[in-house]
Amino acid sequence: MKKLEEVLKDWEAVIGLEIHAELTTLNTKMFCGCKLEFGADPNTHTCPVCLGLPGALPVPNKKAIESIVLAGLATNCDIEKHSMFYRKGYMYPDMAKNFQTTQGPVAFCMRGHLDLDVDGAAAKERPAAAGLGVGEEVENITGTEDGYVAHVGITRIHMEEDAGKMVHVGGGEGRIAGATHSLVDYNRAGTPLIELVTEPDLRTPEEARLFMQKLRQIYLAIGISDCSMEEGSLRCDGNVSLRRRGETKFGTKTELKNMNSFKNLHDGLAYEICRQAEVLEEGGIIYQETRHWDPSKKHTIVMRVKETADDYRLFPEPDLAPYDLSDEFIENVRSRMPELPDQKAKRFQETFGLSAYDARHLVEHRETSNFFEAAMEGADAKLAKPLANLIINDITAYLNANEVKLADTPLTPERGRDLVKLMAEDTISSKQGKQVFAAIMEEDKDPAVIVEEKGMKQVSDTGALEAVVDAVLAANPDDVASYKAGNTKVQGFFVGQCMKAMKGQGNPKLINQILAKKLNE
Amino acid sequence: MSEQYLDEKDVRGIAEYVRIGLTDDEVAAMTVDLNNVIETLKPITEYDLEGVEPTFHPIGDLSNVMREDVEVPGFTQEVALSNAPKQQDGCFLIPSILGEGGDR
Amino acid sequence: MAAFGSMSIAQIQQGLTNKEFSAREVAEASLARVASADEKVHAFLEVTEDLAYRAAARVDEAIASGNLAAAGPLAGVPVAFKDNMNLEGTHTTCSSHMLEDYVSPYTATCVKRIIDAGGIPLGKLNMDEFAFGSSTETSAFGPTCNPWDLSRVPGGSSGGSAAAVAAGMATMTLGSDTGGSIRQPGSFCGTVAVKPTYGVVSRYGVVAFGSSLDQVGPFARTVRDAALTMNALAGRDQLDCTSQNVTCDFTANLDQGVAGMRIGVVPEFMNAAGLTPEVKSKIDEAIGKLQDAGAEIVEVALPNVHAAISAYYVLGPCEAFSNLARFDSVRYGYCDPGHKDLGGQYEGSRAKGFGEEARRRIMLGSYLLSAGVYDKYYYPAQQVRTLITADYTAAYEKVDCIIAPCAPRTAFKFGEISDPTEMYLSDMYTISINIAGNGGMNMPIGVGADSGLPIGAQLIAPAFKDENMLRVAAALEKIYGEAPVAPAFADGKVGE
Repeated sequence: MKKLEEVLKDWEAVIGLEIHAELTTLNTKMFCGCKLEFGADPNTHTCPVCLGLPGALPVPNKKAIESIVLAGLATNCDIEKHSMFYRKGYMYPDMAKNFQTTQGPVAFCMRGHLDLDVDGAAAKERPAAAGLGVGEEVENITGTEDGYVAHVGITRIHMEEDAGKMVHVGGGEGRIAGATHSLVDYNRAGTPLIELVTEPDLRTPEEARLFMQKLRQIYLAIGISDCSMEEGSLRCDGNVSLRRRGETKFGTKTELKNMNSFKNLHDGLAYEICRQAEVLEEGGIIYQETRHWDPSKKHTIVMRVKETADDYRLFPEPDLAPYDLSDEFIENVRSRMPELPDQKAKRFQETFGLSAYDARHLVEHRETSNFFEAAMEGADAKLAKPLANLIINDITAYLNANEVKLADTPLTPERGRDLVKLMAEDTISSKQGKQVFAAIMEEDKDPAVIVEEKGMKQVSDTGALEAVVDAVLAANPDDVASYKAGNTKVQGFFVGQCMKAMKGQGNPKLINQILAKKLNE
Repeated sequence: MSEQYLDEKDVRGIAEYVRIGLTDDEVAAMTVDLNNVIETLKPITEYDLEGVEPTFHPIGDLSNVMREDVEVPGFTQEVALSNAPKQQDGCFLIPSILGEGGDR
Repeated sequence: MAAFGSMSIAQIQQGLTNKEFSAREVAEASLARVASADEKVHAFLEVTEDLAYRAAARVDEAIASGNLAAAGPLAGVPVAFKDNMNLEGTHTTCSSHMLEDYVSPYTATCVKRIIDAGGIPLGKLNMDEFAFGSSTETSAFGPTCNPWDLSRVPGGSSGGSAAAVAAGMATMTLGSDTGGSIRQPGSFCGTVAVKPTYGVVSRYGVVAFGSSLDQVGPFARTVRDAALTMNALAGRDQLDCTSQNVTCDFTANLDQGVAGMRIGVVPEFMNAAGLTPEVKSKIDEAIGKLQDAGAEIVEVALPNVHAAISAYYVLGPCEAFSNLARFDSVRYGYCDPGHKDLGGQYEGSRAKGFGEEARRRIMLGSYLLSAGVYDKYYYPAQQVRTLITADYTAAYEKVDCIIAPCAPRTAFKFGEISDPTEMYLSDMYTISINIAGNGGMNMPIGVGADSGLPIGAQLIAPAFKDENMLRVAAALEKIYGEAPVAPAFADGKVGE
């Protein structure tokens, strides 16, 4: 199979996403007062409504409606004042009523959009972005300094309810195939779920991944979901089709499922694009079908073929009154809108002089952006850039490697700021900084104490440094000769020797300056 | 003699959709019955309804009926499963669902 | 022993207050009455002896502490519920094999309100399977017999509820009405039978047939008893989004008479084909007597009402198809044994669990909602609903209440009507009221000249003005007398 970059030169991938988010931060389910809780004993959070008992009736959770309106406002949607719930019928054992209560043609949120910053390697997947000037527009993208901004339309966000969970027993790996029977738990049934559907505006797997990441940041910022892809509270299906570059008609699409991480979303789509290209290039036909991404085998397999459009017998839910949202209701929700990641990134750029890249990465997680803000409280603006580096590189790597939350580590914002300050003031070198960072995490001590205890202070005394440099130069006459003959690269070797002699505590900047002076005398 | 709206193949398809297993004789009888009933619905299709809004909810101006996000005690596991035809490990037990066409 | 089921609420409460008998005695005697009389009638599917004694004990405690009122407005009244109403710990079968073994783990709001009001629950009552029918002949557990003539149907679907009251087994029962299922059996069995405006009574816990059409209401032998029951039933329930805040005292204007009231007569109803002469003449007579009593009789037109029956047979099955999808052998209900795959279990369970009429309506509804067909039937049916509602609204600018036949004929014999489409016509006078959502009730006005069987006038009120029809009913009750217990069951007789 060809590589993705090769495929995308000849083919344009048309990608649309359907993203489900459970409103996990609510107390109760969508249509009943049962508690929302992940991992409870099976069928312990159930009642007549979510078990679909005969005679039970749904009553919508007001907070869920407020949450979806908030999500719509945060993604630039129009809020539809008049909408209804519908019944979408299909018999499946995890659906207690054998219909899903969802919305019809008019959802609470319609016609939204998000802009994606695509840069660096991610931008390279889109051929149209190559050589695009800043501010130049082509397709649905606008050029930026190091990539482009993609404008992605959101068709709608509608309110619905989640299904129960099934465990398949007797087959391999909990799969349906081979299972002799299944066990159904309705604790999750009726969990408030919002489904966002994008326009088919995405063209590369990277864009899909970035869209998903950005949406996740927004949902986390507005606090409507814990957005855990592992636990399934944030789920994504992708629709993919290919068409020859320049063609305007859409090709036949396949629907891709089981992309339960950002990496799987990217890799699943990338594989499916390449697979379709291969089929088409060999003169084959793409069937409209649902395919399952298998991350371990790195391929997609057919789940079912859709011969005809599904017929869900959709009709307005008679048990639920229609919605007629007032301006007051909507404005009340809007007044609770927190600062969104884009706004925060912009503020970080303006207030602290950070680059767009740094600002964007800082706001990716609320815990890191909060840490940054707390650490910068009353601090010199000069510390912003090194602090951002510390967060984006060292702290993020540490948290990922140890799978911990920042709040659960000994690193307080004060300690972070003090560490960065020690480096900025040349009290310690950046290499020592990394050691101090590791020591904070291990020993739970303040940076100053660690520096003191380990005697790590950086030597910046010019007299002491000159003596060391002189000694090193004297010990290596051949290399000095080589330098003077034009091989200036050996200066690095001298720096290393000096640092070694000083047990790593010499100020490398000063050593370099002294070396240059002495070698060129 | 009423019009033929559905033939036996259609009726078999509907039975499959609603998951009711019918014998051939039952399909034949059901086909006659359904065609008769659908014939009586004809007035609906012949009405001049141009510009008439539908009434999906016969409840006047009732709208926005919601509840607060407050937990209400539900069933214990035992009560939840009290009517289960088959159960195991606190769950409802069903036979193999292969071929059910679900795509989750 | 006294036949408490033949007494009115006031009579029972007077006896309790005067310590002529205790609530426990009411329970005991009523259960004994059910045991004997129901052998002939077969109105009861389950007798709830324990619950009856428990409820009676609460009433007796209240009496002992000198405060009967504390036990509620229905204290000591023997009552029973249609078997589509959940009552925790009892079977709720909907007269279907599908739910033969189903035991309710919760209680419907309407049932709870009656028991909280002091009612003594005697049991659960037979019906057409899932309320699909007009005769109780579709009950999986055999039909109920009309106490006036045991060879005839009691009407349906709430046939058991009507028959229990008509046979003097209960003072009051609850039924549900989707297209006439309270009023038509009320007419066939000669009882007061009220279908309130949609939204007056909570539907929570009542197994749904047509969610936008269903409404719960009482059967009783006196208008006052029905009104007292309405007081206990009515009002907003947090568990039903479509229930409304109703604070009306339904007994308030029962004694006001009809002088000055404008009562509508609908030519489309009175001249309809299928209306038997004996029913027509009784309704005409009642109209004349109301006029004599001071009502102004006004002719009103309901030009779109003829489309109601076809709209109903679109909307009802569509909603029923969806409401009955949940019976899938997974969480509850009949589970056909021996299947290795769920598909087979689904198809076997639903084929054997549902009776013929249920299967027919499920399939019809599924067809009518399918892609392409929806726009041809379902959507226009909802548009017709707008027109019919507008017809009633316009009529109620001219009148306070409408009088019409309740059913085109008196009770028919078992097996007399076998064609489903012909059976559907027995609801021709009641259906349009469910479509529009307003209230309607049956008021017995004596027996037919030809049949000797009960005939009822249907009184139809504007939406949320249910007190209007009760007021007219009370006036008719003054003229015709209180609805009697069926002769073969009067004075403690058990169908001899």
